Amino acid sequence: MNEDELKRPKHPAIPKLAEDLRQGKMSRRDFLRTSTLLGMSAAASYSLIGKITGNPLVAPAHAGDNGKMGGRLRVAMQVQEMQDPATFDWVERSNLSRHIVEYLTCTGADNVTRPYLAREWEASEDLREWTFHLRQGIKWHNGDDFIADDVVFNFERWLDPATGSPNMSLFSAMTEEVNGERRMIDGAVEKVDDYTVKLRMRTGQLAIPENLFNYPTAIVHRDFDGDLSANPNGTGPYTLAEHRVGSRAVLQRADRPYWGEDLDDPYIGGPIYLDEIVYIDVGEDGSSHVAALQGGQADAVYEFDIDNLRMAEDMDDAHIVTVDSATCTVMRMHVNEPPFDDKRVRQALLKAIDIPAYNRLMFNDEGEHGEHHHVHPIHPDYYQLPEMEQDIEGARALLEEAGYGDGLEISIDVGNVGGPTDQQMAELWAQHLRAINVDLRINMMPSSRYWEIWTETPLGATQWVHRPLGTMVLSLAYRSGAAWNETNYANPEFDEIMDQAESILDADERSEVLRQAMEILQEDAVICQPVWAPRFTAAKDYVKNFPGQPTLYHIFHKVWIDD
Amino acid sequence: MLIFIARRLGQMLLIMIVVTIILFTIFEFNKMNVAGQVLGPYTTEEQRQLWLEQQGYMEPAVGRYFEWVWGVLQGDFGYSHQLRVPVNEVLWDRLRMTAILGFWLFALMIPLALLFGVLSGIKEGSLRDRVISIGAVGTTSVPEFASATFLTAIFVFWLGWLPGTSGMYDGWDTRQIILPVLVLLLYGGGYVVRMTRASMAEVMNSQYIRTAILKGLPYRKVILKHALRNALIAPFTVIMLQLNYLLSGVIVVEVFFAYRGFGTLLLDAALFGDIFVIQACTLVAVFVAVLSYFLSDIGYMFLNPRIRVS
Repeated sequence: MNEDELKRPKHPAIPKLAEDLRQGKMSRRDFLRTSTLLGMSAAASYSLIGKITGNPLVAPAHAGDNGKMGGRLRVAMQVQEMQDPATFDWVERSNLSRHIVEYLTCTGADNVTRPYLAREWEASEDLREWTFHLRQGIKWHNGDDFIADDVVFNFERWLDPATGSPNMSLFSAMTEEVNGERRMIDGAVEKVDDYTVKLRMRTGQLAIPENLFNYPTAIVHRDFDGDLSANPNGTGPYTLAEHRVGSRAVLQRADRPYWGEDLDDPYIGGPIYLDEIVYIDVGEDGSSHVAALQGGQADAVYEFDIDNLRMAEDMDDAHIVTVDSATCTVMRMHVNEPPFDDKRVRQALLKAIDIPAYNRLMFNDEGEHGEHHHVHPIHPDYYQLPEMEQDIEGARALLEEAGYGDGLEISIDVGNVGGPTDQQMAELWAQHLRAINVDLRINMMPSSRYWEIWTETPLGATQWVHRPLGTMVLSLAYRSGAAWNETNYANPEFDEIMDQAESILDADERSEVLRQAMEILQEDAVICQPVWAPRFTAAKDYVKNFPGQPTLYHIFHKVWIDD
Repeated sequence: MLIFIARRLGQMLLIMIVVTIILFTIFEFNKMNVAGQVLGPYTTEEQRQLWLEQQGYMEPAVGRYFEWVWGVLQGDFGYSHQLRVPVNEVLWDRLRMTAILGFWLFALMIPLALLFGVLSGIKEGSLRDRVISIGAVGTTSVPEFASATFLTAIFVFWLGWLPGTSGMYDGWDTRQIILPVLVLLLYGGGYVVRMTRASMAEVMNSQYIRTAILKGLPYRKVILKHALRNALIAPFTVIMLQLNYLLSGVIVVEVFFAYRGFGTLLLDAALFGDIFVIQACTLVAVFVAVLSYFLSDIGYMFLNPRIRVS
């Protein structure tokens, strides 16, 4: 199989990747990630790695035949409304729907993206044309066949400004601006036949398969009417039996055999064990989640924070899953509103910061130092920039120059959307800023209130979830006019670099280009992001194969209960 | 007497009308937010405007106000955009849950608090009085979120006797209500103990009690027949006011234990901007508030003949 895949590669770059791996220029994990992105099967990639390096990378364990059928998994997580997957703005919403409606691709806990509803895909050499071959024989819960029309319908919906979907920004290379409004380029999505779809981009895009597992990209039926909770028609193994916002949601095994049962895949293939998945809403607070787990009301939790780590560690019948993730909170400024429209002010606000203090004081050094550019060391395209040192004198001089020598009063909106540590981070910043005579006031509000104003507040603390590539988050958050651009940052040079970075296949080469974008963000001082928080989730010991996906996306196909 | 009651009822009605008008006015300035909450943060201003029109929010406010009041009078509280059900479907259920919480709180608090208050107040300054007083001050001084954390640490994490949250996801479970009731009991009970003690101590120092003791009546009879009835007037008012507290103060406890009661409903609605739910909850809360004042006035009159006469 390996030889075959090399002789008839899915993408012309695969033999080069194999050569890079052989010569040690590319890590095994990078090879796995990139080759699967380019359409090679994960099984073949794992096997090829073993063959080339003589040191096999172990594929994630299958549940094997030991898994017990049946049972109910109760997960403590906020139960929110679940109307339109294309407009989801909370991962929790997508977790409710993820076992009902499915995605074209799937990124597992190993951060590798694999085929899902799409059987395989190819990209043109310049990465501007992607062809997705869909699996045949998949049926919607209403009995219809899953076909290319469904995929085309979803892309057209996502890229219609009337939908208000963040996917518009994710697939910006498939859009153009006409009369000041962004819309899909004619022919950007084409149905080749019933099971083949072609996507065309303005510029080369590497992360299309990864983007297709981003949480608002679930594929809904071609007749979708905008309300999934009212009409939960999906292709997934479960259907919605009950959904009470703020209380609980019950997913029950669908009344037809799951199409993926015969699939050889460590995350979605094989038998579906659980009869029922129940989400119970115990509120936002991590301590309630841990209490529900300890008190036996939940078998697993969505997430808890470092404050509850000690409590969770004390539970002798549960295990903690620590998740390596680029989820973080950024304290971001509106770069077009005074006083933040003056770059010197923004730079001064960052120069006053003692970066190591955040990780030490907030997370007992369990997290990682941030560098104010939103790219995490686990991103394959990360580039290590020189560490930013605290420079109080320099900060003062910049403020003086900007006309704020007598001091400055600013306030930050904090909704603790990333947990109570958001407030701690803002307080530390306020403390650092006092040294340069800046009075930072903290305006606390409920998280739901914060999400109402997150793009509008001049200075706020927003949580961003993990994305597998550095390019993905920078593109989503800092490109001019992007739907999720909450800083109003608009820099054509940055956009151009992003276009370039997103068309480069080689991770090292790409990180060289992305480095420029990271430097621009640092230099323009768009965000204050001094730390990467560690993330924790937990499950009872009798819950087997509970996954720790980097984005905390729930994929429970392999989970079973050992009673 | 009847005039008194009629006047009080009139005042109740007036307060409620004023509250409904205030509520309505506040939300008139907040309509766009509601549309944003319902449609999602990435929708355009036009989409939100359109939604508001479709939902009838652009009709004249006065007309909508009367329409709403008419609906309420007929038992229709409108539709919850957050929960996506008619408000009626959740309101009564949530009120019932809080009523259950309240029932157990009162069932335990009234006898216990009165007993300890009386025991403490009978002999002011005694060791027993000091122990009870310190205990009562202690429990009342600890805010609910702190005692909730403390009790959870003991009974859930350490002893493992009780469940950690009280969502009743699989139907009624008495064990789940123990911690919320205990937290409310500690907080509210201490206060009633203090009030009863103060009232009892005052009565015990009054001349008629001294006379009763001096003329040789058995001590027990003095307490039960003469002291207790008079000493209960002040605590009665306090206990009636606890009804009010239950609707607002219970939010902390309900949220902490994820108890699906009136408090969590109101908080969630307030955070979301769920207009009809907030309006319904506020109406209920105001109704309970004025009703409890009304009842405490009437009860006070029966307990204290001097007021009745004047």
